[in-house]
Amino acid sequence: MESNEKVLIKGNYAIAQAAVNAGLQCYFGYPITPQTEIGEYLSGVMPELGKAYVCAESELAAINMVLGAVSTGVRAMTTSSSCAVALMQEALSYACGDELPVVLVNVMRAGPGLGYIYPAQGDYNQSVYGGGNGDYKIIVLAPSTVQECIDYTYRAFYLAQKYRNPVILLADGLLGQMMEPASFGENPYPEVDVSSWALTGAKSREGRAIYSVGPDEKKQIQHIYNLFEKFELIKKNETSYEEFNIEDADIILTAFGSMTRNIKAAMTVLRDKGLKVGCFRPVTLSPFPYERISNLAKLGKKFVVVEMNMGQMFKDVRYAVNGKSEVSLINRPCGEWLSVEEIVSAVENIYKKGACYATSI
Amino acid sequence: MEKNFIIAGFGGQGVLLAGTILANSFMLADKNVTWYPCYGAEMRGGTVNCEIVVSDTEVSSVHKQDTDYALVLNQQSFDKFVQRVKTGGTIVANSTLVAETKPRADINYVFAPMGDLANELGTSKVTNMVALGVLSSVVDVVDKNFLALGFEKVMGDKKKDLIPLNKKALEIGFDAVKI
Amino acid sequence: MQQVFSIPKCMKKDFRYTFCPGCDHGVAVRLVAELIDEMELQEKAICSTCVGCSVFLYNFLDIDCVEAPHGRACASATGVKRAQPDKFVFTYQGDGDFASIGLAESMHSALRGENFSAICINNTTYGMTGGQMGPTSLMGQKTTTSPNGRNADYYGYPIKIAEQIALCDGTAFSARVSLDTIPNMVKAKQAIKKAFEVQQKGLGFGFVEILSSCPTNWKMTPEEAHKRVREEMIPVFPLGVFKDITASGGNK
Repeated sequence: MESNEKVLIKGNYAIAQAAVNAGLQCYFGYPITPQTEIGEYLSGVMPELGKAYVCAESELAAINMVLGAVSTGVRAMTTSSSCAVALMQEALSYACGDELPVVLVNVMRAGPGLGYIYPAQGDYNQSVYGGGNGDYKIIVLAPSTVQECIDYTYRAFYLAQKYRNPVILLADGLLGQMMEPASFGENPYPEVDVSSWALTGAKSREGRAIYSVGPDEKKQIQHIYNLFEKFELIKKNETSYEEFNIEDADIILTAFGSMTRNIKAAMTVLRDKGLKVGCFRPVTLSPFPYERISNLAKLGKKFVVVEMNMGQMFKDVRYAVNGKSEVSLINRPCGEWLSVEEIVSAVENIYKKGACYATSI
Repeated sequence: MEKNFIIAGFGGQGVLLAGTILANSFMLADKNVTWYPCYGAEMRGGTVNCEIVVSDTEVSSVHKQDTDYALVLNQQSFDKFVQRVKTGGTIVANSTLVAETKPRADINYVFAPMGDLANELGTSKVTNMVALGVLSSVVDVVDKNFLALGFEKVMGDKKKDLIPLNKKALEIGFDAVKI
Repeated sequence: MQQVFSIPKCMKKDFRYTFCPGCDHGVAVRLVAELIDEMELQEKAICSTCVGCSVFLYNFLDIDCVEAPHGRACASATGVKRAQPDKFVFTYQGDGDFASIGLAESMHSALRGENFSAICINNTTYGMTGGQMGPTSLMGQKTTTSPNGRNADYYGYPIKIAEQIALCDGTAFSARVSLDTIPNMVKAKQAIKKAFEVQQKGLGFGFVEILSSCPTNWKMTPEEAHKRVREEMIPVFPLGVFKDITASGGNK
């Protein structure tokens, strides 16, 4: 399915087909609502294309299968949801240390623990900061529409191989389950040459070893410095965000993922009421656009973070603002997305009463 | 313009398919549209529903508590969603299975024997298409011709033989209620 | 002068074992290396390494290796083999890695009939961390975490790995061997060769459990340790082939 024709498609299926278009060679997965359709779709497509599909015995196994597969230079991924992604944190730390281009799709549900299958955005911390050991960073892309599910899937596979670093596509149950018109187009990114490191057998060369740690302390220290040099490069090249009506705004609504839709609609309503409201939306949650937010804060613009968790991105926005202006939070932990009306009235209150921290609705 | 629809009924009544066809009809009419199903435990107990939002601009909330229009195919769904229709909104009900009551005074009611009309065509399987026909006759933004195109798009080439019957169901639904 | 013994070609020229003196790991790695040479596998071999005493395998063998988290070698090997079906893929793990923390991955790889080979060193203890009770520790065995000896009421029972793997329908070959005597080493090499061959033929999961000494953690001399393998381990973990789908007349 590669054409510019618009099709009405579910986010989950869009991600699955985009992965195929991006050259997915192996899929490993274990079912969990609300992303199971990805695995179901690929179980039909992959064997037909002569590609690998494995129903893994656990998420633990699935992500480690990806680790093995991508070490040979092919594109592979697993997809899962919140509480099961928690099981994969160890492997993500390894993938960073091993510099392996793992692609993981997380279609978020509610937590903590088993939580429930309601949509939520509670995995910001788990994705951006991670639960694995050691110093490492993952590239995190957060789509807000089904079209972006496609576009960012293409980008995820490209960035993973370009930087030899794991990438998380952070969607949510809403995006996974909803249908929206979108088109696949063609994967816009070039192929990445992996021949200098991929494991293909020691033919006409020495054996290669992919590992995160060695008994040599100096080498280990240097390895981590090298990783962080790479992260700096990623920050410089790949930090991306969207902004709307920023120039004259005195309040900037900030959200990630599918909540972006709601803040844009709320902005329109508030503008109609004569309030100078803009929108800022990080596309890469990691690397996070600290610098841009910091510069906007220095101009005196206030921030209102709107998210479906207890204020996880809120902390990063405050860190970026660093006391230069005010930051408020409008949030709900999970379930029904904050409505445009709720956001509008909360922002009106902030206008009246000033900044409010943690306005749980 | 942004309008919300909820379509609800028993599993097997073609509720999710009807929503998909409706959403496709909006896409073919070059409108912004989203389709969002109930899923998981919400589905237990035999009823299913989906929400469709159509808009001239980008759709904001795809899942809302209240709705402009509810299309309900069974009693349970009527009882549940009559409470979620906005003041001034409309509930369109399948009177084959729904008692013609009007529990609220601030909304509009349209009753049509969708199941019976489908059976007259020889199969209750087209109840959903009759329902969409009824909907298109009472809601301006829903276009019967785009619904037919939407059906063709959803069915693809493999099920072309189903088109005549379903188009007929649409027409019968469209003519069932004269306002 | 004729050279009758040399380091296998696929071992690194400058390698130095990090195993303790008298440990059987060195012999096991050498057998694997000899077979990689003899079967001409060096250019197509990819090893999924484990965590434990053999964690630095990639420093000894001049072949491609990928590090897997503790217990996940079989999952990682599944990924490697599915991505590169033409390569020769194997794991080299300890009993803790294969049969304790990684039992699910190991067992399910066998059940799926994953077409790679797995070598598991069974030395009845967690060697690298200094001799704690592991999944194969014998009844009565004193370790740093079973100071009064393993008893069933308190600690449960050891796992018989080769027999369990043989029960999986996707297993093509499963055997247990020992390295306590020269004849047993020869048999061990034959079994590993068989496990490699079933992969070459695309028949499914090939598995060899190698009973191995751990003089350091058993607090024994190498001779005493081999005596323990013979007198205490083999009676509990009998040597033999538990499944071989290539054998004539059954054993399938």
